[in-house]
Amino acid sequence: MSAARGPGEHPDDTFQYATSRSVRLPRDASPVEKIRLAVTLRNEWLAVGLSTEPADRPAAEAAVGRLYELAGARPPAFEWAVSPLAALRAVQAARSRYPAIRSPRRLVSRRTGQWPLAARLAVLESGLRSRLDARIRRAAVAWPTMPGDGTGTVSIYDPEDAVLSGISDRSVVVVTAGQSLRGTLTGAVVAPLRAALGQAIGRDASEDQPGPAGGVIAFRGQQDAAWVGYYDIRRRAGFGGYASADLCELDAWAALARSAGWWWPGEGLCVMAERPAAVHTEPLAGSHHGELRLHHADGPAISFADGFGANVVHGTPVPGWVLSGPTVDLIRAEPNIEVRRSAIERLGWDAYLRDAGMTLVASCPDPGNPGAELRLYDDLPGKGWGALGRVLVVTNGTPEPGGHRRRYGINVPRDLDNPVAAAAWTYGLTGELYATLQRRT
Amino acid sequence: MLTTLTLADLAARTGLDVLGHLEREVTIPVTNGIQAQGDLLVIPIALLATEASDGWAPPGVSIADSARWHPVPAAGIEVLRAGTGGNPHTLVADPGTCRWTTGVNDPETLALGALTTTGTAYLIHPEHGGSGIAPGTYVIRRQRERSGTTPRTGSFPHATNPVQYEYIVD
Repeated sequence: MSAARGPGEHPDDTFQYATSRSVRLPRDASPVEKIRLAVTLRNEWLAVGLSTEPADRPAAEAAVGRLYELAGARPPAFEWAVSPLAALRAVQAARSRYPAIRSPRRLVSRRTGQWPLAARLAVLESGLRSRLDARIRRAAVAWPTMPGDGTGTVSIYDPEDAVLSGISDRSVVVVTAGQSLRGTLTGAVVAPLRAALGQAIGRDASEDQPGPAGGVIAFRGQQDAAWVGYYDIRRRAGFGGYASADLCELDAWAALARSAGWWWPGEGLCVMAERPAAVHTEPLAGSHHGELRLHHADGPAISFADGFGANVVHGTPVPGWVLSGPTVDLIRAEPNIEVRRSAIERLGWDAYLRDAGMTLVASCPDPGNPGAELRLYDDLPGKGWGALGRVLVVTNGTPEPGGHRRRYGINVPRDLDNPVAAAAWTYGLTGELYATLQRRT
Repeated sequence: MLTTLTLADLAARTGLDVLGHLEREVTIPVTNGIQAQGDLLVIPIALLATEASDGWAPPGVSIADSARWHPVPAAGIEVLRAGTGGNPHTLVADPGTCRWTTGVNDPETLALGALTTTGTAYLIHPEHGGSGIAPGTYVIRRQRERSGTTPRTGSFPHATNPVQYEYIVD
């Protein structure tokens, strides 16, 4: 468990913000040296994406001005807000500067020059990324994701070991730089923050996306390090160059990512958000590529100076009650399985089973898991989600680092009376077959 | 041959890593039966081909005619990795002994793929350790749970199963 308050204070020393911009790669660098540099740069970009420093407003405004010019507009006026929530409220208060952006089909019916500025910037970004991807594809596979397609196994190795074991450095950099940054910044930070933003303004997270009802487009500033950083790393770690015009554009996006939080470009006005005041993360267990997820047990995992933030436990976004006071009734009323599980784990399974008054239907030894039992419970009829079925409480086959074995509940259909049949159902088997299970790890 | 290995041997042999608290020196059991590794289950395909024998038989699990088999390389094949916070299950074997395909017809839609191996293959996971798989052909299925919103109305265990469920990721 770790908490990051600013990159320099992270307990993991890989997070020291080394200014390696001066690092030069030797001309005859080996694949291992290239990957080593890519990892250093990835950690720098990760720190950018999680930075809690106050925004560098002059740098951010200069970068936005350049992007406006690239999109064919004059640099805008700026309004700064302490959080994405405050920024979105400022945007809503200035709606005349933010023409609603509807579906892409409506957009293409007009000429690019007449599009709202935010849409032109989105096109600018996607155009740049396609050109950079095309340049990369000429040299190597770009973003393969299927197992066995070249990078599928990279993630299980330390990046240098992967190269030493014969995997191409070009595959390794995709995983250790591209997928790692994207997984952490886009997947584990932006997504929960968007959900929290949607909840705070009382609607789903689509307010910051173009859609049938119209909307505005938010750009992610520091978390755009997910893609900006990847392209930058490839170039600086010796995986190929880009056209000089594209490099100029990329530099503008990079300067912005290094200097501010989310931003909402409008006509002649750009609302800019400060970076968070605190970000708490933990490493992904077993990850060799520096991936993190949000986690904080005692308060928001990411929070801003005005109190806006997101509660996230081991990567799962949760409502505030899960942290402040989980109760059986609240858990029962919660429709989301992962939220329920997080809340029950905070209470403890034993306490939950006792307090919820769940009745044991049957228990029996767990096939292949000596010493462990399968325990099938019924919830009180007519109450909450438990009334829809039963809960099978199982014990992990492998101990946790502390030596104890984790227990957890799995929801199963209501008409299963036999714990072995219930466990079998979770794998689509009959109880008879599941009873022959040899070993559980 | 990769046979009667300890977790330490397997880790050294493949370069894959496991968490430090696991028993590294104990020999990994090898079986040709059903075995579970966290949210995955390894099942001999023969057991799934004709599972129900009473009256109406549901369609069994089979390898698709169009299945493409991939040799399992020395570096292994990542069979499943959870999106956020999950660790990969990796299939490893001596080069030339084991093949993997995702082309499996599974009426329960839980199969990730199938492997066929002439030597001992291993499934390895940083938190769960290793599972030894004897020569044969097996289906690897993932685990599901009922989602909380829709009551179940169908009959178990036949294939057209209206229970809404979600995959478990541990």
